[in-house]
Amino acid sequence: MQMMAQVLSHVPAHPFNDVAGWIEQTAVLPLLYRAGLMQWSELSFGWTLVAVYGITQMILAYAVCVPLERFHPLERWTTSKPVLVDVFYTFLARVGVLPIMTFVLFYAAQVQLDGFLADRGYVPPMLETIIPALFGHPVVTFALYALILDFTDYWRHRLSHRFSIWYALHAVHHAQRQMTFWSDDRNHVIDEVLSFLWFMLIGLLIGIPPLQFPLLILMLRFVESLSHANTTLSFGKIGDRLLVSPRFHRTHHGILAAGQKSCNYGAVFPLWDIIFKTADFARPPTPTGDPTAPEAMATGTYLAQQWSGIAHTVRALRG
Amino acid sequence: MTGPASLPRRTLFAAPALLALPTRARAASAAQPPIAIVLNSGGATVSVIDMTTRKILRDEPTFREPSHWALTPDHKKLLIADSSGNALFFLDPATGTELGHKLIPDPYQLWFSPDGTYLTITCLRLNHVDVYHAASLTLAHRFKLGSMPSHLSYTPDSRTVFVSMQDSGTLVAIDLANMTPRWTTKVGKTPAGVMWHDGVVLTAIMGSDHVAVLDPATGRITRTILTDKGAHNIFLTPDRTQLYVTNRVAGSLTVLDARTLGFVKRIAMPGGPDDLCFAPDGKLWIALRFASRVAVHDPVTGATDHISVGRSPHGIFISTLLTDRPALAAMRLA
Repeated sequence: MQMMAQVLSHVPAHPFNDVAGWIEQTAVLPLLYRAGLMQWSELSFGWTLVAVYGITQMILAYAVCVPLERFHPLERWTTSKPVLVDVFYTFLARVGVLPIMTFVLFYAAQVQLDGFLADRGYVPPMLETIIPALFGHPVVTFALYALILDFTDYWRHRLSHRFSIWYALHAVHHAQRQMTFWSDDRNHVIDEVLSFLWFMLIGLLIGIPPLQFPLLILMLRFVESLSHANTTLSFGKIGDRLLVSPRFHRTHHGILAAGQKSCNYGAVFPLWDIIFKTADFARPPTPTGDPTAPEAMATGTYLAQQWSGIAHTVRALRG
Repeated sequence: MTGPASLPRRTLFAAPALLALPTRARAASAAQPPIAIVLNSGGATVSVIDMTTRKILRDEPTFREPSHWALTPDHKKLLIADSSGNALFFLDPATGTELGHKLIPDPYQLWFSPDGTYLTITCLRLNHVDVYHAASLTLAHRFKLGSMPSHLSYTPDSRTVFVSMQDSGTLVAIDLANMTPRWTTKVGKTPAGVMWHDGVVLTAIMGSDHVAVLDPATGRITRTILTDKGAHNIFLTPDRTQLYVTNRVAGSLTVLDARTLGFVKRIAMPGGPDDLCFAPDGKLWIALRFASRVAVHDPVTGATDHISVGRSPHGIFISTLLTDRPALAAMRLA
């Protein structure tokens, strides 16, 4: 017991913070200082933490999903070349420009709205002010935020399949015939912007969730990555109904479920699919991809896929 | 002021403006062990530390981002500004016990005027400076004088409050008698901490490496004092002989002679030093923003111990201030 206490005493209390703090002090702050941008120093630590969490999540996903895909694959391919572009998408989304842009845009929008409300004597809402009993129970509050955000994301996702113009963009995500855990962030940039606006609207209505639980956030993102993995893994009859599994999400990406005929829209919790009767736990695994999507969208370069998404949308607009 | 039950402010989608938290009985007494209250901006908590054992007694929750504190003129309540949580939290300064909270927009830094009439709050995110009537916590005036209002300090007669504008690079003087801005001066990149000191105004220039000295009547810069990269905030020692400047980028403290403003020494303090307090034993309790720790530094021996707290510790209050009149006076709280 005493030995365990000794070992634990050497484990850093805040490993993510310590790494992010070191990066902040040795790289980010000196950079901001030289660039004359020290007014952003308050926020920059948040950006650094997001990047550290993003990298950690990628390492975790890699460590778990690569063995799963290698030793328990659902499909075997002769080449993994089409997967490379998904790796690029992941870096861009988790540690690249996109999270910083999202952070800045959300911050700017929040400032505008909060300022507008403050000038009229209002204080913006948060879950804890809507439901006062939540205050002092941050884990419960976080769980509720996660449920609400996943619920609203279910509807965003479902609507993105419902409207052909929106789906023409979302098809970039579905066009991948070699779906792996890297495919989670494979999205058209306009589709990403629409997701961001959707999240922003919800965030402004119920406040931003407390972000002091990086491990929980990492786990949620990990579930989303894992659900795209090319593996036979299922969480079992009950587990598949509690958390979105690779098997459950593969049904959504199956060639028979592309576009408006889809099912299993949930990102983290299958609950919403069960409630709104869009869950399909019975369908056997099928190959993934969208047979209606242009080939460039499936196997093109990043830019070719992005351009193809726009061309596909224009065609959808013309009917 | 009368405490948290005095603010009729609306909140969208929320029934009460002031949340009906269970108000715990105030348990302060002279026998309370000295505590440090650390505001963890990134952790949305306030760590209460036993100063003797240096152990965390507990973490009190806030909404999102506790930043700075202010002690009420009667010293009975400690106000904690939760900026992105849009709330003021009320703590018992002797025990750290939470007494309730009240919703107000974006409180970042805050300080009561020396005469106790006003509470000025900088709203760094929303770009306004709010002056509240201290007794009722009702808004007296809202100023929009620049981008990212950051820190503030008053003249001893409470007639003027000086506010640094981080993004605009200015220091603004506001006449509280007439509720009008008096002057605005470009002081440098990203000014942060502000302090009235011996008839002049000092402001730390975080985008540079110095403290600017200004004439409070005209706003003219009369002198610059070289410190270190990222000069952030300024603190007067209880014996009023020295000024400590925290330097965020360099990770250091610069000690200045309080009378001449001449350089005394540099102390390495890695981890992003932010706010600090002087304990009666002479030690400095310093919040290290990027290290998730509080440093306890002995300026005599040069030894520094660390206490692990929550993420991004920002403001720090020590309860010994309640009985330490010189320290209170140095902070202009007596």
